[in-house]
Amino acid sequence: MKSENVFLKILLGAYLILFFGYLLGPLLVMSITAFNSPSFPKMTPWECLTFEWFDVLANDERILNGIRNSLIVGTGTVILSVTMGLAGALILTQIWPRLRATYYTIVIAPILIPGVVLGISTLVFWDRINVMLGFSSDSFLHNGIFLTILGQSTFIASYCMLVFIARLQRFDVGLTEAALDLGATNVQAFRKILLPFMKPAIGSAAVLAFLASFENYNTTTFTFGKYPTLTIELAQKVRYGINPSISALAFIIIALTLFGALAHEMYRRKQQLALANGAPVSAVTGKGFQLPKFLKGNPAAILLIILTLGAISTIWYAQVHSPQQCILDVREQKRIETEKKIQAIKEKRRQEMLKKQQEQQKAAPSSNQAIESLAKVLLVAYSRLKTLKIMHLMVPPLFRKARRTIQVKAHLAAYLHRRI
Amino acid sequence: MSRGVGVTLEDVWIRFGDFVAVREANVNINGGEFFSFLGPSGCGKTTILRAVSGFLEPSDGRILIGGKDMAGFGPNKRPTALIFQNLALFPLMKVWENITFSLEVQGVSKLERRKRADELLDMIALPGQGDKLPSELSGGQKQRVAIARALCAEPDVLLLDEPLSALDLKLRQHMRTELREIQQRVGITFIYITHDQGEALTMSDNVAVMRAGVIDQIADGHTIYNDPATPFVASFVGENNVFRGRIKSIDGKHAIIETNRSGALVARIAPAAIGQLSVGDQAMMFLRPEACNLATETSLTHNRIRARVQNEEFEGQTYNVFLEGDQGKEIKMSLVNVGQDRQSEVGQDLTLEYNPDQAIILPFGELASE
Amino acid sequence: MSVTKAIHNYFERNGLALGSFLLFAVFFWVVVLIILPQLSMLDFSFRHHLPPPEMGGPKDVYTLEHYKYLVLGAPGADSSYNVVDLGVFGRTLLAAVFVTILNLVICYPIAYYLAQTKAGGFARALVLLLIIPYWINEILRAFAFRIIFGETGLINEMMLTLGLIDNPIDFIRANVALYAGLGYAYILLMIFPIYNVIESLDRNQIEAARDMGASWARIHWRVVIPYAKPGISSGCTMVFMLTAGALAAPQILGGPSSLWFTQIIYQWFNQGGNWPRGAAFAIVLLVTCVVIVLSMMRLFKVKMGDIGK
Repeated sequence: MKSENVFLKILLGAYLILFFGYLLGPLLVMSITAFNSPSFPKMTPWECLTFEWFDVLANDERILNGIRNSLIVGTGTVILSVTMGLAGALILTQIWPRLRATYYTIVIAPILIPGVVLGISTLVFWDRINVMLGFSSDSFLHNGIFLTILGQSTFIASYCMLVFIARLQRFDVGLTEAALDLGATNVQAFRKILLPFMKPAIGSAAVLAFLASFENYNTTTFTFGKYPTLTIELAQKVRYGINPSISALAFIIIALTLFGALAHEMYRRKQQLALANGAPVSAVTGKGFQLPKFLKGNPAAILLIILTLGAISTIWYAQVHSPQQCILDVREQKRIETEKKIQAIKEKRRQEMLKKQQEQQKAAPSSNQAIESLAKVLLVAYSRLKTLKIMHLMVPPLFRKARRTIQVKAHLAAYLHRRI
Repeated sequence: MSRGVGVTLEDVWIRFGDFVAVREANVNINGGEFFSFLGPSGCGKTTILRAVSGFLEPSDGRILIGGKDMAGFGPNKRPTALIFQNLALFPLMKVWENITFSLEVQGVSKLERRKRADELLDMIALPGQGDKLPSELSGGQKQRVAIARALCAEPDVLLLDEPLSALDLKLRQHMRTELREIQQRVGITFIYITHDQGEALTMSDNVAVMRAGVIDQIADGHTIYNDPATPFVASFVGENNVFRGRIKSIDGKHAIIETNRSGALVARIAPAAIGQLSVGDQAMMFLRPEACNLATETSLTHNRIRARVQNEEFEGQTYNVFLEGDQGKEIKMSLVNVGQDRQSEVGQDLTLEYNPDQAIILPFGELASE
Repeated sequence: MSVTKAIHNYFERNGLALGSFLLFAVFFWVVVLIILPQLSMLDFSFRHHLPPPEMGGPKDVYTLEHYKYLVLGAPGADSSYNVVDLGVFGRTLLAAVFVTILNLVICYPIAYYLAQTKAGGFARALVLLLIIPYWINEILRAFAFRIIFGETGLINEMMLTLGLIDNPIDFIRANVALYAGLGYAYILLMIFPIYNVIESLDRNQIEAARDMGASWARIHWRVVIPYAKPGISSGCTMVFMLTAGALAAPQILGGPSSLWFTQIIYQWFNQGGNWPRGAAFAIVLLVTCVVIVLSMMRLFKVKMGDIGK
């Protein structure tokens, strides 16, 4: 029983490590490549620590332009989808029960419809509206920002609605009734009771909507028109030639995400701690906390501080660090290595030539030579076939036998193979 | 300062689809009265309250507050304030904001509201607690805040929907007294909903007992307890031993009932049933446990029952003795603890005796199911 | 309740201004953003590919041309069926199924573990770690896999250094990178629905089953999985739909010889310039996916309302 438990635990640990390795490994590797000097993003071999890719990134007009467009689109999408999602959720609670299932299916469907389809349908629909209204092809209905916001909001509003529904389910309808009973009008009850209750959900829906908009590709790729978002620009870059400045961008985003997550976690933990200590909430939300107290039992806060210090020192180090010498060194080393390689190959060839001559002299003109030359031909054929990975089908035993007779000259075969 | 306003229900019916929640309710509540609706859960008492406060319209009939028909007036237009079962304090507002919410929606300035809140906080004995959130208060404090919030709206009628049910026993008993005091101080009409007969009897001027959408009896606590109008009321309010049988003879205010298992017994005819019973009718006799005594003689008369002790419980102020009469008839007797020795032993045969005026006879009817 | 009374009640409850605003917002979303564009795309897919001046002209009539093209190929082609496009279509769906199953297998244990571990700092940290990758751009995530699986990528370099292989393996061509990337992209959408459902499972049920001597496998098969069914199907539905409709990962990680169906649609729109045909292909993708999902839901007796929980 006990040994089984230990076995299970080991299994579980291994699984967790593998799983999170799969999940986080790629991000880690990508982040590291941002600091390596080769112009193709790679982690090995490690050459020089460099920050130049951040420079490259900061001077990339297209990326900066993409970020600007993404921010505009993101803002529009947040406003539109949070509004529609909230309205959708409120209507869901009031709709005629018989219509509820149908309604729910329709508003949840955009999550399941492939993003490509949403992008296409948005493009096609507004194009037709444009034609119908007789506008020119550069009217606002064809504007990339307008179309992208609409296309993204179609499904992002569904995400927002799910957030609101979850929150609404915990709402006590009695509160609205109490407000009405105390003389509030419906609108007052909505504004003073329901809306404040929904506030945290509105916040998280807005964050969710912005992130979803920021990273959307499938829909945007059909609608962006003349306003490529960051994701579109990234995709173009990644598809046609990549360099580590993208890793640098990824690193920045990962770092920001980590900061955000830790800050949120710290805040949560702080509230929890304060509540657990029985302090009034006003003290919890109050400003001006004291350092030691706020760190107590709050690993997220500690991590956050370490991370911040790390970031500051990295930025400082980036200012003073110059990888120029290292890059030169590496270049020199590479040059020497290449030279060495060339030398080695030359030497090898010379040796082989010598050997060949010797052998030819040594070998009597016999049937052996004929077999050998045949074997050579076969060997060439064989090595070609081998590359096609159908050796076992095509190479009869005879060939293998012949091969064995000249196994001593395997290096020669390899050489030939390389020449071919 | 009696500024109480009366509430009248005229032939009120409330239906949900095919289900009748309230059937032909006729109630007249006087201004300044503490009035309770008492009944088991699902009897329709909360539905009546919601109809009075305006959250739903009666399907038939009229509801008048201060003589004015309330049809078409929403909950925010009625001179009523409701205290919810779960109190429904606004969790995100501070205590003082909660209390003065009714002023806030009227657009009263913050300064004035704050002042009014402090007055009310003094009244409910929570001075200086205005800046807390409801979640930081104890159960009893929340209760008082809810009352203050309702009173701040200066309603003519305060409606209370089982507001004490979430409290523990001690606090509940304390709040009973406090509620009654507050009511007498402000002098407005209180309409109170409860399934707890103790609450109804201690606080109310008048009680309406409800069963499955029907009001069985409206009377003051004494009458409800001593002279129940129906078998349901008799069995729901307090405890009663029930003897089923047929009327054997009637003599003025008293009658003799031939019970199924305990022989012929004499009892007073309930005032509500006078003139309704004749010899041979099916009837029920109700005998409260505390009306039973030990007989000094063992000879059988029409107010004596023989039974064997099955079990005994000691409850502090009373001994509850569970007995078994002829053919397994279960009888409960309560004896007040006045320092006497144990009165009985299991298996002992006893003769019970009662004052016929303390037992009553009603026509056969439905009992409260326990 | 009559419709007029319902409407009257609605405005009574919400007030005129707020009520109309809510209705307007939902109308805009449901009709203008969801229903009309889909219908318009459907309509468009049945039209000829015409230059703008001829639109609405006499030549603008309904046709099955584009659907025929998908099945039969261009008129006068060698084979009697459009082997290329149909092949890609079939492969896309199969691969999506494969990725979905792979995801389920990977995610079920972690979802179960997280849901049944007592809410402590460790479990919270794990949840946080789960969410972080999801906040990183989809393109960047695919890019990371390219760095890892590329010809001079991390894995090849490492295996070369360790002497496991002599020549770099082309993971991109073998689609390993694509499947790894696709599986990675939607992992969270599989974990959270399952996690949410299992979290609400009473631990006592598991303990009771164990008490009665059930093995771990049996507990999962008889107690946990039946209970988690809505979450599992919700996760599978989302992962399947998103994988089948993925565009970024195949574009970045797909080998040169293996197209994803969405890429063909993309080509008709952006390079081929034949919008109606692209729309027709998109409709086929949408309808097929919906049919697959609905039949799966029927097969496993799961309701639409469970999706998105």
